Amino acid sequence: MDTKSTSFSRLFSARPVRRRTFFRVAGATAASSALVLAGCDKDDENPEVSPEQAFTLGTGDTGLLNYAYLLEQLEAAFYDKVVATPPADMPAAELAYFTDMRDHEVIHREFFKFALGTSAIGTAVFNFGSLTLTTRAGVFAAAQTLEDLGVAAYNGAGKLFTDPVYLGIAGKIASVEARHAALVRDLALPNSFAAADVVANDGSALDGLDAAKSPAQVIAVVNTFLNITVSAASLPG
Amino acid sequence: MNILKLLADLAEVDPTLYDRLSSRQAAFAPLSKLGRKAALAALPVALGTAIMPAQARDIRTILDSLNLALVLEYLESEFYARALGLVAGAPSVPASFFPAGTRPAIETIYRHEQQHVRFLERVIQASGGTLPTKPRFDFTGSKNGAQPALFADVFTNFDTFLQVAQTLEDAGVRAYKGQVGFLQTDNSLLEAALRIHSVEARHAAHIRSMRRARGANVKSWVSPTDTSIAVAGKTDAVYAGEGLVNQFVAGLRQVPFDQAPLNTVVAVAKVAEAFDEPIPASTATSLVSIFTY
Repeated sequence: MDTKSTSFSRLFSARPVRRRTFFRVAGATAASSALVLAGCDKDDENPEVSPEQAFTLGTGDTGLLNYAYLLEQLEAAFYDKVVATPPADMPAAELAYFTDMRDHEVIHREFFKFALGTSAIGTAVFNFGSLTLTTRAGVFAAAQTLEDLGVAAYNGAGKLFTDPVYLGIAGKIASVEARHAALVRDLALPNSFAAADVVANDGSALDGLDAAKSPAQVIAVVNTFLNITVSAASLPG
Repeated sequence: MNILKLLADLAEVDPTLYDRLSSRQAAFAPLSKLGRKAALAALPVALGTAIMPAQARDIRTILDSLNLALVLEYLESEFYARALGLVAGAPSVPASFFPAGTRPAIETIYRHEQQHVRFLERVIQASGGTLPTKPRFDFTGSKNGAQPALFADVFTNFDTFLQVAQTLEDAGVRAYKGQVGFLQTDNSLLEAALRIHSVEARHAAHIRSMRRARGANVKSWVSPTDTSIAVAGKTDAVYAGEGLVNQFVAGLRQVPFDQAPLNTVVAVAKVAEAFDEPIPASTATSLVSIFTY
C-alpha cells in the first residue's frame, strides 16, 4: 500500500497541472474517495492494470454510472467545443442540430453527476488534438465516431447494471444517442444512418443488430482523448 | 447485494440448488451459451423461483416479451414490404410512389426488420417456444374495411407513408424500451434487445429526417416542438408521455433539472428530447391492433 501511495503521489507530481484537473471536484477528499487508484485495489496483481497510471471508476453500478458520466462528459465537451467555435464551412442549420445534441449531452452528463452524488468522478479535461475540428468534414467524422461509440457503450453496459432503474435509464439515453448517430451519419453521407459498419449485415446470426462494446473497449477509445489513463478493470463485465 | 455469498449459503443448505438453477436456464441455453457469469447475473430473479417449487412464470415472461417484439417486427416488416411491392396479392404500389433517392433507405430499413424477424423467430424456437401467429395487416387502419380508414392513402401518398413509418418506428423504440427490464435475467437476450432497440431508433431518426427534408416540422429525435402526427384516440399513445421532464435516479430521487443550480447548467426545454420513454406491453399491443384485423 505504501509503495502504491508513492505511485499515486508520483503520478500527480510528475504530470502537468492540466492533467490533474481531471479530478477537480468540490474537495480533494471527495476526489480521493470517489476515484479508486487501481494500484490500491485488491486486484493489483491483475496484469491488465498499470498500477502507476490507470485510474478506475469504481465498482458495480456506481462504477458503471461513472463510466457513463465520463462518456457523457466527453460528448458534451466535444459538442461544446464545436458549438463555441464551429467550422467556417458548417451551415447554420447544421449548427442548430449540434446545439441540440450539445444540450442533450449536457443533460445526460448532469443526470449522471446527480445520480452519483459524492461518488462522482471529477471533471475531465479532454484533449481533442487528434481531431480536425476546423472543417465540417472533420467535425462530422468525430461526431460519428463519438455517437456510434455511445450507442455501442450503452448497448454493452445494459446487462451489467444490477439496478433495473439504471438499465431503464441506459435504454432511455441509448435511443437518443442512436438518433444522434443516425442524423450525423446521414448528414455526413446520405443513407448511412444504419450502415453495415455499425449494424451487422454479413450473413451472420447477428445481422440487423447494432454494435455493442464492453467498457474496456469503450474506455480504450475515451483514453485517446485524455492525458491520463482510465482503467475499466474495476467495472463489471 | 452479495449474490455469490447468498448462493453459496443456500447451496450449502440445499445441494440441488445449482442443478435447479441451471435447468431453469437450460431453456435458453441454445441462444445464451450461458457461462457461469451469465447464470449468476440471472440469479436475482431465478433464485426466487428456484428456492420455491419450480414455476414457469419467468420463462413465460421472457417469451411474452419476445413474442411482443416479434409481432412488432412482423408489423414493420410487412409495412415496408408492401410499400416496396414485395407482398404477393397486396394492392400494387405505383412505381412513382418513391420520390427520387428515397427507395434505398426504405430497402435498408426493410432488410433490418426482416433480420429482426428471423433473429427473434430463431431465438423463440431455440428456447422451445411457439411462434405467435402472424397477424393480418391493414395499414390504412380500416380493419379490412370494417371501419373508416385512418390512413387511406398510406401507399399512394408518400407523406402519409412516412407519417405511418415514423409512428411505427417511434412506437417500436418505446416498446423495446418497455421490455428490456423483463429480460434482465438473461444477459444475451437483454443485449440483443438493446441492439435491436438502437437500430429502431436509427430508423426512426432517418424517417424523421426524411419528413423534415419534405417540409415537415419534426426533429430527428422526439421533441415537444414537433408538429403532432398523432391521430387522437388512436395513435396518440405513441407520443403520450414523451414530453416527460421528470427523471429519477435510484431511490426514486427526482433529478431537479428545472431548479437551481441544474437549471443554470442545462437547457431545461430540451430535457424531454434527451430521454426517450418506454411504453408498456399493453400500449404496444393496442397500437399494433390499429393495423391488424
